[in-house]
Amino acid sequence: MANVRRLVLDLLKPHDPGVVEFASAVADCEGVRGVNVVLMETDEAVQNVKMTVEGDTIPFETIRETVEDLGGTVHSIDEVACGAVVVEESETPQD
Amino acid sequence: MPPRLKRLLKALEREDVRSISRRYFISNGFDGALTGVGIAVGAYLSGVPDGLTVFKIGIGAAIGLSTSGVWSVWEIERAEKRAELKRLERAMLTDLDETRVQRQKTGARQVNALMSGLGPVIGIVLPMLPFLVEGSVLSMRDAVLASVGVAVAILFTFGAYLAEISEQNWVVAGLRMGLAGVAVALLNVLLPG
Repeated sequence: MANVRRLVLDLLKPHDPGVVEFASAVADCEGVRGVNVVLMETDEAVQNVKMTVEGDTIPFETIRETVEDLGGTVHSIDEVACGAVVVEESETPQD
Repeated sequence: MPPRLKRLLKALEREDVRSISRRYFISNGFDGALTGVGIAVGAYLSGVPDGLTVFKIGIGAAIGLSTSGVWSVWEIERAEKRAELKRLERAMLTDLDETRVQRQKTGARQVNALMSGLGPVIGIVLPMLPFLVEGSVLSMRDAVLASVGVAVAILFTFGAYLAEISEQNWVVAGLRMGLAGVAVALLNVLLPG
């Protein structure tokens, strides 16, 4: 099975722990080289964030467990890039 | 480092945990110091003959207040933190048991309870110390005055500390708190019995 090199996740998380702790915890997972977290929406008790994870061999299950241990939930996997190189989304006439 | 100690230290890094713990610590320390003044003056006025007896009574009061501090806060914070977790679970539509969020709340509760119990220990035991040297260094009357003095100093320190974190005048805040100790001593003297 090819290595996962990029994952874009839609997450729901409590305000506490904050985005910095969330990003750091996921960045500490083996196989992850970098993490980006963008706040999409904030509510009274929860936040909706987009998390982009890049690495050579991203362990999705470990990342999901880390997110859940921090009190978050993975709503959806919005983008995955696998294989020897990261392939960017290509534009189509429909776009 | 044992995981439990690590969790407590981690919890202490959080400002919300420190803030609640501070309130319990000062509030119960205040209770303890005033109880100490009451014991010292009351024991003297009742004619307790030696300092060691007063010290033992004080330790009994410290154990009682400290246990009350730990026990009540343990139960209060169990309910409060459980309610917080339930609110969060409803918002997240998920079970947060066994997550870091739940573990953090448990750690916070332990720190809150510990600080709540520590307040009265400091508030009572320190003012009782002069009674240990009654007979050798101090007379009973001097031990009572020293005890009230120590209690007032503790109250002053609490006030000054609160002033420091809230950017008030520490002398005024310290005196305001310390005055409570003097008031309790006077009330003990003035009230019948």
